[in-house]
Amino acid sequence: MWKTTLKSLGAHKRRLLSTCTAVLLGVAFLSGTLVLGDTMTKGFGDMFTAANAGTDALVRSESEVGDADFSERALIDRSLVDEIAAVDGVAAAEPRIEGSARIVGADGDPLGGNGPPTQGGNWIADDALNPYDLSDGRAPAAPGEVVIDKAAAEQGDLAVGDTTTVRTPDPIPVTIVGLVTFGDADSQGPITYTGFSTEQAADLFVPDPGEVSSIAVAADPGVSQTRLVQSIDAVLPDGVEALTGAQLTAEMEDGIQDDFLGFFETFLLVFAGIALVVATFSIYNTFSILVAQRTRESALLRALGASRGQVLRSVAVEALAVGLLASVGGIAVGLGLASGLLALMSAMGMTMPASSLVVAGSTVVTAVVVGVVVTLVASLAPAVRAARTAPLEAIRSVAVDGSATSWLRAIAGAVVTAGGVAVVIAGAVGGAVPLAGLGALLSLVGVVMLGPVVARPAAGVLGAPQAARRGMSGTLARRNAMRNPRRTASTALALLVGVAVVSLMTVVGASIKKSIADTVDEQFAGDLVVVSDGWGLGGLSTELAPAIGDLPEVAVSSAAGNAPVRVDGDDTVVSTYDPATLDQVMDLGVRAGSMADVGVDQIAVSQEYADDHGLALGDPVPVTYPDGVSERPTVGAVFGEEDMFGGVLLPQAAFVPHTSQPGDVAVMITLADGVSEADGEAAVQGVADRFGAPDVQTGAEYTDSVAGEVDQMLNVVYVLLALAIVIALMGIANTLSLSIHERTRELGLLRAVGQTRRQLRSMVRGEAVTVALFGTAGGVGLGLFLGWAMVEALADEGFTSFAVPVTSLVVVLVVGALAGVLAAVRPARRAARLDVLEAIATD
Amino acid sequence: MTAHDVMTSEAAPGWDTSSAFPAVAVRAVTATKVYGKGDTAVRALDEVTLDVPAGRFTAIMGPSGSGKSTLMHCMAGLDSLTAGHVLVGDVDLASLSDKELTRLRRDRLGFVFQAFNLLPMLTAAENITLPLDLAGHKPEAGWFDRVVDTVGLRPRLKHRPSELSGGQQQRVAVARALASRPEVIFADEPTGNLDSRSGAEILEFMRRAVDDMGQTMVVVTHDPVAAAYADAVVFLADGRVVDTMVEPTADRVLERMKGFGG
Repeated sequence: MWKTTLKSLGAHKRRLLSTCTAVLLGVAFLSGTLVLGDTMTKGFGDMFTAANAGTDALVRSESEVGDADFSERALIDRSLVDEIAAVDGVAAAEPRIEGSARIVGADGDPLGGNGPPTQGGNWIADDALNPYDLSDGRAPAAPGEVVIDKAAAEQGDLAVGDTTTVRTPDPIPVTIVGLVTFGDADSQGPITYTGFSTEQAADLFVPDPGEVSSIAVAADPGVSQTRLVQSIDAVLPDGVEALTGAQLTAEMEDGIQDDFLGFFETFLLVFAGIALVVATFSIYNTFSILVAQRTRESALLRALGASRGQVLRSVAVEALAVGLLASVGGIAVGLGLASGLLALMSAMGMTMPASSLVVAGSTVVTAVVVGVVVTLVASLAPAVRAARTAPLEAIRSVAVDGSATSWLRAIAGAVVTAGGVAVVIAGAVGGAVPLAGLGALLSLVGVVMLGPVVARPAAGVLGAPQAARRGMSGTLARRNAMRNPRRTASTALALLVGVAVVSLMTVVGASIKKSIADTVDEQFAGDLVVVSDGWGLGGLSTELAPAIGDLPEVAVSSAAGNAPVRVDGDDTVVSTYDPATLDQVMDLGVRAGSMADVGVDQIAVSQEYADDHGLALGDPVPVTYPDGVSERPTVGAVFGEEDMFGGVLLPQAAFVPHTSQPGDVAVMITLADGVSEADGEAAVQGVADRFGAPDVQTGAEYTDSVAGEVDQMLNVVYVLLALAIVIALMGIANTLSLSIHERTRELGLLRAVGQTRRQLRSMVRGEAVTVALFGTAGGVGLGLFLGWAMVEALADEGFTSFAVPVTSLVVVLVVGALAGVLAAVRPARRAARLDVLEAIATD
Repeated sequence: MTAHDVMTSEAAPGWDTSSAFPAVAVRAVTATKVYGKGDTAVRALDEVTLDVPAGRFTAIMGPSGSGKSTLMHCMAGLDSLTAGHVLVGDVDLASLSDKELTRLRRDRLGFVFQAFNLLPMLTAAENITLPLDLAGHKPEAGWFDRVVDTVGLRPRLKHRPSELSGGQQQRVAVARALASRPEVIFADEPTGNLDSRSGAEILEFMRRAVDDMGQTMVVVTHDPVAAAYADAVVFLADGRVVDTMVEPTADRVLERMKGFGG
């Protein structure tokens, strides 16, 4: 039996090769993601280890508020430096005064700011406690002198001796006196660094020169980090903590994992999963057809005395071989994929800390297990069918089309689909995302069950236009698509899954864009807006809004910012606003009190927040600020719309005294009467240019720029989904090739009675297009429905509007049909080359 | 081979007895087909010259390996000759491209094969009009009805091949061949897969098509009973025409076949 199995593997090399490719691509995506994740984790780990190499202990405040993305830690007393330096076992203690500093390049554009920190700090003289090394020039000695990392210098076209601006976020004129490296690297991964003199750092980053961000400590030789921390702990006041360098590194690693890597890896894994699901359909199809073609062979084996188990095993072994081979190949391709992605990211300016590719044992095991299991599961049903072959079928000459439209299947499929849809709707309306997700999964299972039942009528309808237009070739194409519903369904389902996800993302993207546009439309009452282009708590100088307000062209200039705080026990980031002016640029639908009357000992909350937290006008709310101070401001106003600023608004005046580096994220502007938008924009831009040149936009321009960001994100998603689509198309091509092989005699007959090669190709193409349209239309339908459900379920998260991007979805449909044509190219060519005589020769 | 010395590659005398100079539907002139090369070369057809008269029922007989199927395939434009010529009407098949050959088969020839004659996803009616549909022509209503009635398929037109018996399937095939009013219908063992009653029915229809509709019919067969329906029988052996027989009977044909020792 082994020999027969191996022989059979050899005989079907070509078909198995394409099956292998489907598994291989899925596994490659999976292993590539895992390798990339591990590599980046190691890269960051190495980077943090190097950054903290000489730091044996760090002393800092225990108080930190804000969420995972943006948080701020309280400052500590500078006098602690001397106390710690005097502790036994301490070799050196240096104050660290840190904040955000964005370097403006020679062309006037700020560097970085697209995610990774733009670090600024005091240049620490002690070599052990400073991870940066001076490579050119000298250290900053006076205010106005800085060192920057070599990578930033190169990117910004800056050199020693150049003058530029650093945004902290106030624009600070500086002269670059030196360039630094991070160990051997030109930068600390994607982080930009600006080193100031300690005097200027204190001026920029802490409100009081008597305070510092933290204190880095080096131990005497022979003193362990743990012992050092124990010794230091003794002199620390309440609210100040010491942690070892190793703990600090671990904390930073966890942080990057939570903030970025974890999300990044999960994100990619989702798409690897989709690719594997699509591959499963392809494998199922290939094995189904191979088994059908081998009915006689299996029957003969059975007639000769092979048991069902043996026939089953022979198919299973074949699947195992395919799975193993493809998985191993997939790992190899995955390695290439990982390094390619790293190169791509670095080319796109997302420099990741360097590390050689990390291939963990678990990656190899996971990839192989997933690849083999997927192949085995997909080939299980066909294998069982092969084993069921009756010995008598060896003598029956005509293979009967496997009809799969039993009533049982139709009813079960309809019930599961209906159940799934009901659960999705329940989840969507109730705002329960996990429930909606469960429903989506159930719906998909239902669709898979219903596929073969629907395939015949669906192919009939979708094939009708070409049957009407393209004569006999069209009719034959349509009938071919209809004749084996199970095959048509599983071929189309592969595409359906991919297209459904594409459509879902398209719908969600469009809804995000519409939600933002609607919110801006309804709530923004001003003319212009300046929005921080950086990623951070506040990229705009707090002096910008008043400076704009001073312009004669401007009637109102109102600033808003972000505030990391703890409100009612929740660590979060809320918005700050200017009570005196917000009303004039923004309509938040005030329900109680007045936004303008909210004082420094008050806050404004949304109706929803008030309801959720049982608050009413005048109730106190516990708030903890970044500097560790806790207060109990009372609710001074309740507003209706929380899409723009969230559920909690703090008066700027209440927050600013408690933060070390105040900044705004947006300035909203109403122009004076009679000032044209163009004139106003020019005047405001003139002021903005003095503050590091943030963009001045109209409400519509702002909406467009956000839409642009959404589109960019969607493009990334489309690229990731392209692989699943390619696998699905390979599945169509493969199935078509197998079908053509099966129908050799028919094709011969057609050619004999007068079908031209062109008509034959058109017929094969037509079938592919019908199948592709079936999958695409089903996918668009499913994606549209799930997209609606997702938008509905996330209504509380700012998805206020549901949009159907008709044009995009039509494009998806057209591309799906064209893809069918593409998939048919090779099979059609091969079918047309068929030797008529050989095809009709009777055996 | 006993016939070798008596037979030339010319048409046998007495061939033209039924009418003075009947038109020739298909003509093979020193048609030669060689498979393979060098030592392994096989001469499937060896300078066969043959005229198929129009409006007649011609049977081509011979033991297996005699080249009868090859001859039919070459005359029908399904295979090409190594040397010599085949003319359908006045068209030399060797001068045609694949596309032109396909058109010729579609518009001027009809086919009935031993098995797998029909497309499973088309109804009987659609199978009958297939060559016309491929050409984009509309079937003549009167002619289509006449053909359908001739083969007695009226109640079966909406059925798929899988719902028809073997005999009914072959009747559909004959109807398809007739539907486009081809110059010649080639049938390759049309009754080979049928029981004798169904086979007789099919041959009866083909005979009627010749008699009533003036159809030219070429049937390749090894069955003397089938050959007996023909106006004339051409005997092939080792790729050569070894004999012809006019107004054959099953017994005479059987007798003649025995002479080949095949």
